[in-house]
Amino acid sequence: MLREKFALRHLILSAACGLLAAQPVCAAPPAGRLLAAQSGQCHGANGNGPGFENIAGESAGELYHELLEMKYRTRIENIMDRQARGYSDAQLLSIAKYLARQPGSGD
Amino acid sequence: MQHISRRTFLKSTGMALTALALPPTLRAAVAPRVVVVGGGFGGATVAKYLRLWGGNVQVTLVEPNAQHIACILSNLVVTGTLPMSRITLDYAALKTGYGVKVLQGRASALDPAGNRLTVTTAAGHRTLQYDHLVLAPGVDFAPPPAGKWNQNQTPHAWQAGAQTTLLKNQLAAMRNNDQFVMTVPKAPYRCPPGPYERACVVADYLKRTKRRGATVVVLDANPDIQAEPMAFNHAFNVTHAGVIVYVPHAEVQSLDSATHSIVTSAMSVSHAKVLNYIPTHRAAGIAAALGVNPSGFVPVHPLSYVVAGHANVHVIGDSCAVPASDGKAVPKSGHMANAEAKVCADAILRTLNGDALDTNIATSSACYSPITSKTASWLSANFVYGDIFDAKGAVKGKGMRRVDLGEAPASQINRDSYKDMFTWADSLFADSFI
Repeated sequence: MLREKFALRHLILSAACGLLAAQPVCAAPPAGRLLAAQSGQCHGANGNGPGFENIAGESAGELYHELLEMKYRTRIENIMDRQARGYSDAQLLSIAKYLARQPGSGD
Repeated sequence: MQHISRRTFLKSTGMALTALALPPTLRAAVAPRVVVVGGGFGGATVAKYLRLWGGNVQVTLVEPNAQHIACILSNLVVTGTLPMSRITLDYAALKTGYGVKVLQGRASALDPAGNRLTVTTAAGHRTLQYDHLVLAPGVDFAPPPAGKWNQNQTPHAWQAGAQTTLLKNQLAAMRNNDQFVMTVPKAPYRCPPGPYERACVVADYLKRTKRRGATVVVLDANPDIQAEPMAFNHAFNVTHAGVIVYVPHAEVQSLDSATHSIVTSAMSVSHAKVLNYIPTHRAAGIAAALGVNPSGFVPVHPLSYVVAGHANVHVIGDSCAVPASDGKAVPKSGHMANAEAKVCADAILRTLNGDALDTNIATSSACYSPITSKTASWLSANFVYGDIFDAKGAVKGKGMRRVDLGEAPASQINRDSYKDMFTWADSLFADSFI
């Protein structure tokens, strides 16, 4: 779905710009995509599995809250409590917002 | 392999910069071409994400083998717990799902000034023209300082596949009171916890299969355990006490593979039943030709993985040396190679679009290490782009600064972690190859 949208947008751009203009290779990367891609190793590309919890499509607020809880709890409960410590709060928010926009059940 | 002289280096710098000053679509009416060398975790991931994110970018993945056999979980193949098929990955999904062209062959010569890579295939030589080249060839091994080394007699099993089978068969042939001797190379090497994990699962195997009096001797060239020190100290001194003998400061001085004998600065062993000699690492072939640092790896830019002097040649994964704070190096692992591949893919697409590179960059590594056939530990490391520091705490430049490092607390070295290990591995396999 998303890929189709990209492709469509690109097609329109290409047609509109013709060959003379500097065409972009692809759409400008959405905010948070690269940071969120670091979730892929354990949650699948775009957070949609296979892997641990499916995090795509969960509400940004909920996801951000969970990430902060993991980052700041003193007693380490699992590997994700450590991983969350690797990001600033602003980075975690950006990741949460990006993942919230991805198709998925967010279970 | 073409030797790249200093002159070619300088020449290519100028040319590449001029070429890149214009967006690629102005240079040619064709879609931009990215060639990726090496189909391990770094190479597969960069190929996949370039296609996933990259619109009309053409991606060709050059890899000598039809399949990739992962080092991840391979210690459990050595002990017979898993079949080789469990860690065997192919390129079908990259081809059909993402439109990556896969060329089976070995990158044999590089002409950076002409943006050309020569690939030797079963059908002869082919030359590929590229706008960007990503090298992800993994590691190569340095010979021992003296003696005769034959990796079929003393397998390293540090590249999975035939080597894994050799070591598995040698382990299976062990009897009571036999010695399994292994070396840990000087850091940096692939998978910092890997050798200690191997010692643990081999010890566990010897106990389970009732090889009475059999021991595992770990000859570590480093001054101490390089990863998960709490977990492995406990494993060596408690869980596998009496089976594992850990010897630090054991730098290899000479090796005789035929007689399974080794001399190190701390201890010598002759006629071991098994000698699992894991050699010193260095960047593999074509990447090494671009120039390496004193530890044998290719220095790269932390935002783009570009090699100095080559604006459109990138090195990712185990072959590269990412600038980092002293004593806080970026580990070489499949997980990290995947992380770097995404940063590199994003940087290539921004460069092709004429956009500035993203500086809000994070990379990470996370993994699980089996301690027995039922329990595992875990390790986590995170890096962000920013100032990096020397040993005295002074800023020495920009790079990937380690912001967190941790291992499983004792209470989590358990069966749940062992189960999670497979979820982690399968997810990483899928994110990279499927």
